[in-house]
Amino acid sequence: MADVILKLKRNRPGSKAKDFCRWPDEPFEEMDSTLAVQQFIQQTIRRDPANLEAILKMPEAQDEGVWKYEHLRQFCMELNGLAVRLQSECNPETCPQMTATEQWIFLCAAHKTPKECPAIDYTRHTLDGAACLLNSNKYFPSRVSIKESSVAKLGSVCRRVYRIFSHAYFHHRAIFDAFEKETHLCKRFTDFVTKYSIISKDILILPKLDDEPPITQPVGESEA
Amino acid sequence: MKIPTAMDDSSVSHHNGGQVGSQIGVSVNNKQNEESSQSVQYSIPGVLHFIQHEWARFELERSQWEVDRAEFEARIAFLQGERKGQENLKNDLVRRIKMLEYALKQERAKFHKLKYGVELQQGDMRPPPEEPPQEPEPAERAQWKQGRQLIKQYLQEIGYTDTILDVRSNKVRTLLGLNNEDQGEETSYRNCEKQQHYSMNTALSRKMYDYGAKDQRKTGVSQGSGYSDEGLSVQETAAVFANFEFLANQEMDMDEIDDVEAKQMHHAAGKQGEEVDHEADEVLNELNLLTASEADGGGQGDEYAVGVKYPTGTAAVTGEADEKPLALGELAQLTVSNESEGYDVASASKESFRKTWNAKYTLRSHFDGVRALAFHPTEAALVTASEDHTLKLWNLQRTVPAKKSAGLDVEPLYTFRAHSAPVLCLAMGAPRSEECFSGGLDGTIRVWNLPPATADPYDPYDPSVQGPVLREHTDAVWSLASAQGRLLSASADGTARLWAPRTPRPLLCTLRDELSAAATPAAADFADAATRAAVVYRDGNLLLYDLETGQSVLRVSCDSPANRVRSHPTLPLLVTAHEDRHIRFWDAVSGRCAHAMVAHLDAVTGLALDPNGLFLLSGSHDCSVRLWNLDTKTCVQEITAHRKKFDESILDVAFHPLRPYIASAGADGLAKVFV
Repeated sequence: MADVILKLKRNRPGSKAKDFCRWPDEPFEEMDSTLAVQQFIQQTIRRDPANLEAILKMPEAQDEGVWKYEHLRQFCMELNGLAVRLQSECNPETCPQMTATEQWIFLCAAHKTPKECPAIDYTRHTLDGAACLLNSNKYFPSRVSIKESSVAKLGSVCRRVYRIFSHAYFHHRAIFDAFEKETHLCKRFTDFVTKYSIISKDILILPKLDDEPPITQPVGESEA
Repeated sequence: MKIPTAMDDSSVSHHNGGQVGSQIGVSVNNKQNEESSQSVQYSIPGVLHFIQHEWARFELERSQWEVDRAEFEARIAFLQGERKGQENLKNDLVRRIKMLEYALKQERAKFHKLKYGVELQQGDMRPPPEEPPQEPEPAERAQWKQGRQLIKQYLQEIGYTDTILDVRSNKVRTLLGLNNEDQGEETSYRNCEKQQHYSMNTALSRKMYDYGAKDQRKTGVSQGSGYSDEGLSVQETAAVFANFEFLANQEMDMDEIDDVEAKQMHHAAGKQGEEVDHEADEVLNELNLLTASEADGGGQGDEYAVGVKYPTGTAAVTGEADEKPLALGELAQLTVSNESEGYDVASASKESFRKTWNAKYTLRSHFDGVRALAFHPTEAALVTASEDHTLKLWNLQRTVPAKKSAGLDVEPLYTFRAHSAPVLCLAMGAPRSEECFSGGLDGTIRVWNLPPATADPYDPYDPSVQGPVLREHTDAVWSLASAQGRLLSASADGTARLWAPRTPRPLLCTLRDELSAAATPAAADFADAATRAAVVYRDGNLLLYDLETGQSVLRVSCDSPANRVRSHPTLPLLVTAHEDRHIRFWDAVSGRCAHAMVAHLDAVTGLALDPNGLFLLSGSHDCSVRLWNLDTKTCVQEITAHRKKFDESILDVAFHPLRPYIASAGADGLAKVFV
């Protein structure tokens, strides 16, 4: 009996946290669920979140639109973790505007007329808005095939999502570094948007994360 | 009423006066008798006293007559006012009929459009001259509302009260000889009428036309209403509709109806007039009812249950009138049927003849599987908890109409972010309804203050949404239950704990299986009016703990790993869901297995009991939700609801504590609500 249960890819109530989703990898070809791409991406991330190449390597014969869509879902989902951490430190007093460098103030697109939301609201609204869009029955009714016109929607989501990374990087560096060390999310995201040319390179204002040792950077500089 | 008494009074006083007079006469005329000695005894003061006395008496009588006169005058004024009121009512009624006709036409056109998807048909259906009314309609409605309000005010001023209605309806019944048969029914009839009259107040301010999809439920209703003899059969309903059609064709004849009614008034003096008027009231009331029941979805449905009786009364009353008022009677029937639909919905969870559940809302906004969901104790709202580390609050009354007719999409009202790992379980505050609790893979239990149902998802962040955090568990928290301000949790760290979440020292008690240290709880629930805790373990054991002492009082062994436990709201019965596809029922007193059944094709994951303890809802990894009759243990309905992710499908199910909603949560990231 126990064997049977172990073989099932299932988190039974009462499972230890360390056993959550801990089951042998399943080859992508054998996944027959409509959620196969999500399963596959999550499985690869769980195996080694640092192995970006493996995570971003699209299986053969996979629809690229769906692949990008599922990755973006995963990014937005994991960004909740960064938002949770920012909630503890970033508030309207410390960051009354959504900024990265001094160059731009980003307006929150979640409102009827774009608004100058404080950074934490911008973050939350952007993630909530992305959740709505990516789950919209109108634009993304299926998880196995996506219209070309809907794929075009992914670009704007990516641009806004990237601002969350850049705000965290320039204003809450400690949080950013701790989060990045655990998840490699910003690196993965940068690789992802570069690989599929979803957003243009000149918008990617963060320095290449490989090149610098994390945390050793003096905090003063990041706020400059 | 007053007349006889007044007459009596006066006659009596006359009589007295006569007697006194005759006494005087006797005493005066019979002076010559030997008793004349008595007359000598008249003294001036005595006579004066007598005259004074007489004068006072006459004065008294005079004032009495004055009072009577005033009373009669008042009555005349009242009757005149009543007459005016009736005229207004009648006019209003005619206007309502026209509006109803219009609504029906619109509805028919809409139905056509939906059914055949062709708008052209609509044009064919509707004669061109009828197009214009569409525009002035809202204005007309407002005007009409105003008019109604005025009439109502007027009626109140002239004392057109419920009591009078009662008296009058009584009169009508006496006239028709109905009293003998329906003596018993009468009280309810009257009550009903009162309520309906009362409902006028509320009804007026509400929207009139919103038939949307009501017709579909019609069949259910006619089966539903317990009054088989009075309830409408489908055919009757059809007949009513036919009649309605007939009315529509006779639109021009509206004035004729007026004439006929006026003639009747002349013809049969008070009687007939009162009948017509009474009937008009009924129809009017029922129209109000219609609007009321439509507006609040049958919120007060129970009160109107007796309303079904109306058709009999109306039909009887109209039986003597001629054809067109009869049509009005049928109109009344039509509205009644609508009204009882509202009733059907309102009392849905209580009725055993419950219609089947249909998917209505799809809640899509989670990026990963939804692990748990819980309904708001009173509102049409729910909270979902997901593996994407968030919880979301949904208001079912704020929907986005989806393109497909399949259902409505709801957008979340609020996203709760604080867990750093998948959220696994959820409980609504009880009795405090404005809070909820969540437990996560990160081992924390978090208390949340629910934002108001009117909140906008894009409001600024309010940190006060986050309440206290309970961190004593050292591993994933898999189950939460809340009752009487206390919280029961079950965790993979091997313990179940009892909390008073908002106190300075929240942990009240730790429950552990002493016999097996390695046992990990899978789920827990309060039992026996929250004095005990039922904890089911991964190895299949079911333990009942006394929450006073923290000691186990009952131990039941079972081979199959269990996923969920629920206690019956009223009976000493525990229900467990098992990995081996079984649902098992346990006697909470003896520990005996009361029943075991193979309930699904795969592991059973979710269990929910309806608030009355009549139905059981179960969800399984076989992708289906099943509804069970607890009495017979038979499956009443099966719904295939969610897709699989890995080997998981449905992760939780729930019943709304008050309203007719059920919901399921799936590994595919969706939650669905059925009505």
